[in-house]
Amino acid sequence: MKRISKLSSGLYIFLCFAFFYLPILVTVIFSFNSSKSLTHFTGFSMRWYGELIQSSEIMSAVYVSLTIAVLATIISTALGTFTAIGLSKCRKVLREWTLNINNIPMMIPDIVMAVGLMILFSAASINKGYMTMLLAHICFCTPYVITSVYPKVRELDINIANAAMDLGATPWQALWKVIIPMIKPGIYAGVLLAFTMSIDDFVISYFVSGNGVKNISIVVYNMTKRTNPTMNALSTLLIGAIILITVIVNLAPRFKKTRFSKHLSKIAGVLGIILLISVLIFSYNTANLQNTLKVYNAGEYIEEALIDKFEEETGCKVIYETFDSNESMYTKINSGEEYDIIIPSDYMIERLIKEERIQPIDWERLENASNLMESILDKEYDPGNKYSVPYFWGSVGILYDKTKVDKADLKDGWDLLMNPKYKGNLYMYDSERDSFMIAMKALGLSLNTDKPEEIDRAYEWLLEQNRIMSPVYAGDDVIDNMISGNKALAVVYSGDAAYIITENPNLEYFEPHQGTNLWYDGMVITKNCKKTDLAHKFIDFFLDEKNALTNTQAVGYSSCITSAYEEMQKTDYEGVSAYTPRQGNEKDEVFKYQSQKTKEYCATLWTKIKAEGVR
Amino acid sequence: MRFYKNFILPYLVWAGLLIVIPLIMILIYAFTADGNSVLTVSFTFDNFKNILSSAYISVFWTSLKIGIITVLICLVLGYLMAYLIAQFSEKVQTILILLVTIPMWINMLLRTYAWISILSDNGLLNSLLTFLGLEPMSLMYTDFAVILGLVCDFLPFMIIPIHTSLSKMDKSLIEASYDLGANKFQTFKRVIFKLSIPGVVNGIIMVFLLSISSFVIPKLLGGGNYMMVGNLIESQFISVGDWNFGSAISFVLAAIMLVAIKITEKFDKTDE
Repeated sequence: MKRISKLSSGLYIFLCFAFFYLPILVTVIFSFNSSKSLTHFTGFSMRWYGELIQSSEIMSAVYVSLTIAVLATIISTALGTFTAIGLSKCRKVLREWTLNINNIPMMIPDIVMAVGLMILFSAASINKGYMTMLLAHICFCTPYVITSVYPKVRELDINIANAAMDLGATPWQALWKVIIPMIKPGIYAGVLLAFTMSIDDFVISYFVSGNGVKNISIVVYNMTKRTNPTMNALSTLLIGAIILITVIVNLAPRFKKTRFSKHLSKIAGVLGIILLISVLIFSYNTANLQNTLKVYNAGEYIEEALIDKFEEETGCKVIYETFDSNESMYTKINSGEEYDIIIPSDYMIERLIKEERIQPIDWERLENASNLMESILDKEYDPGNKYSVPYFWGSVGILYDKTKVDKADLKDGWDLLMNPKYKGNLYMYDSERDSFMIAMKALGLSLNTDKPEEIDRAYEWLLEQNRIMSPVYAGDDVIDNMISGNKALAVVYSGDAAYIITENPNLEYFEPHQGTNLWYDGMVITKNCKKTDLAHKFIDFFLDEKNALTNTQAVGYSSCITSAYEEMQKTDYEGVSAYTPRQGNEKDEVFKYQSQKTKEYCATLWTKIKAEGVR
Repeated sequence: MRFYKNFILPYLVWAGLLIVIPLIMILIYAFTADGNSVLTVSFTFDNFKNILSSAYISVFWTSLKIGIITVLICLVLGYLMAYLIAQFSEKVQTILILLVTIPMWINMLLRTYAWISILSDNGLLNSLLTFLGLEPMSLMYTDFAVILGLVCDFLPFMIIPIHTSLSKMDKSLIEASYDLGANKFQTFKRVIFKLSIPGVVNGIIMVFLLSISSFVIPKLLGGGNYMMVGNLIESQFISVGDWNFGSAISFVLAAIMLVAIKITEKFDKTDE
């Protein structure tokens, strides 16, 4: 009987650990995969470790995470320990108040603390970056230090410190030689907690950082949209480091009498100084904005090697940041972030022009301007392309699996997405503007309507579709899922469709006959950009025929450069219709900038549709 | 000893600036309209009225539901785990607790990311099912996936405090209970569980706090149609740009959390 219970308890503990370590194991295994897939192991390779070392983005993120964690731990431990000692000696009312305030960051959700700090920094117009992230980390680490040190201080016999002072010690000596050594266990616990909290933090860092300063979590968050085993390689290295440290710490007592431990404090001191110097250099580097260009683009929308090439050619530094939607880009610049070049979509360009946030392009300075394709210039959002230079363009359409979808059903156009035959077998795009576009086009309306009754009809259409079809509103993960052939239908951008079709030839793309959205993304120079010369060079760089070809090959979207566009149709995307979006259909429209009222109205309805899906 | 009293001053200034003021600013934003500039203050209740519309209420309801389910699962799994660990010798306990802690040091996003490759439609789990000749299941973008992710990430926060209070327990009390004629079940209910309540309370608060406000796990494992309060706050601040409404939601979330903490702590005190 006893044996059985022992066996089952052992089994339970084993299963629990299996549950904890399964994702970690998967991460480690797939870091050695030779292909990009995270689900099928195709062979052993160290490829992703090579890419990891070469990725300056990840490397600087590791650097930011580590230095922030170390600095925040040191500062919050010092601050917290002093405060804990002070707390035990001050008046009761003051003590209780301080402890109550100190509890707040631990008792309210971190996202609330994060938005509070974000509002504070933007109200005080402090530029978001390394400093704000460090301040925020100290802010949430210190309470944990105080709660682990304070109980130890209270256990302390006051008379011991008094005795030291009676024997002639100054208060500082008594602190260093008597009090601190006695509360050491509490301080160690505080250090460990602070370091863990800081290095693992995502939410607070996400809201308070900016200007290209990212820690590991933020980079991972931006990367999760497309599978990228480089993250697994990084993760494996981190796991290795953690296991190594744990082993060393646990074996440390055995080394106590060796010479190594005698020099431990000296080694720690030297390491601390090195760290401090490197932090200073880093902050100097980021502060030195003389010859840098800040570029803000959508995620996964550039060949990053081209940025390196540009840096080499001009000797400048490019701070490259990405956004996940035009709206989040707008919110960011509205909160005071400054960029030199932004690459938004048509309707957002229109808005930026109206709000005088961008400056006219000096076409004289663009040597490669003649490479641009005529047919995509001079559109309504920016007549004469006074303010923007086209970057990529495309349409929105339906990607379908030829083996699963009946060809006769295609004549329904957008209503194909309402066909119960394909219930649960479809991805919608998680974007309110694109989804409303589909509904409006299906109903024969203009996609730029601002009449509430028409928007309501579109809302009803989407709601009904949600009920009948139970679609998945996915983000960029659609790409991987469609390549694997998970569902029969998906709403996608033409460029993504082109890429997906080359990976899975069972798929085909079509633009519904009711009309669709044609879009153009363009490079614009912000009003506050002072390095206009460099900015024009950057734009011109992407108009170069060779660079444009490299870029469109990597991204898959339709190039605006005639030669690259034609070259792609002959090579990589031969016979892939998605690479050549429909032109000249009068039912196709370009988005216009929506009024704030319409936008908010649609946003509320969209939240309602999605919340409906949860039930 | 008066000397040390002043040690508290730097932190008072710090906490005032970086804890109290941000919260006050959330409050100001929550009760005003068009307040991206603080200069034009116009008092309003509209942000809170807006929350009461059915779509947003259901978001709160989903978060509460998911939070409570996660807490319950963590409580059952975590208590059993902590209890079983506490039965081992001290040396083994240290190792086991270390094994529970290690995953917490590994980036939470990376661990969640790994779940995607396990659960996705053509992921490892489904490959295994097909290999065994079973029907593959669609697991991603469901409540199940979200709760699984939450439990996996937050279970250690339940195990550790419970284990701490169990291992601190005076063993002679358990012996005394047996000596006085209580059976195993009675001893557990009246002695062991009662003495571990402080740990249970801590664990429940931690897990509830983390899961109700989480927005990364729902976004990654629940998909775009998964809305929890955290996602709502994120979208208001990052993509919609309505900081006033976002602040109002944050305020309500913080209030819910404080109420939940008070209720749980009361449970602790009445049992004493």
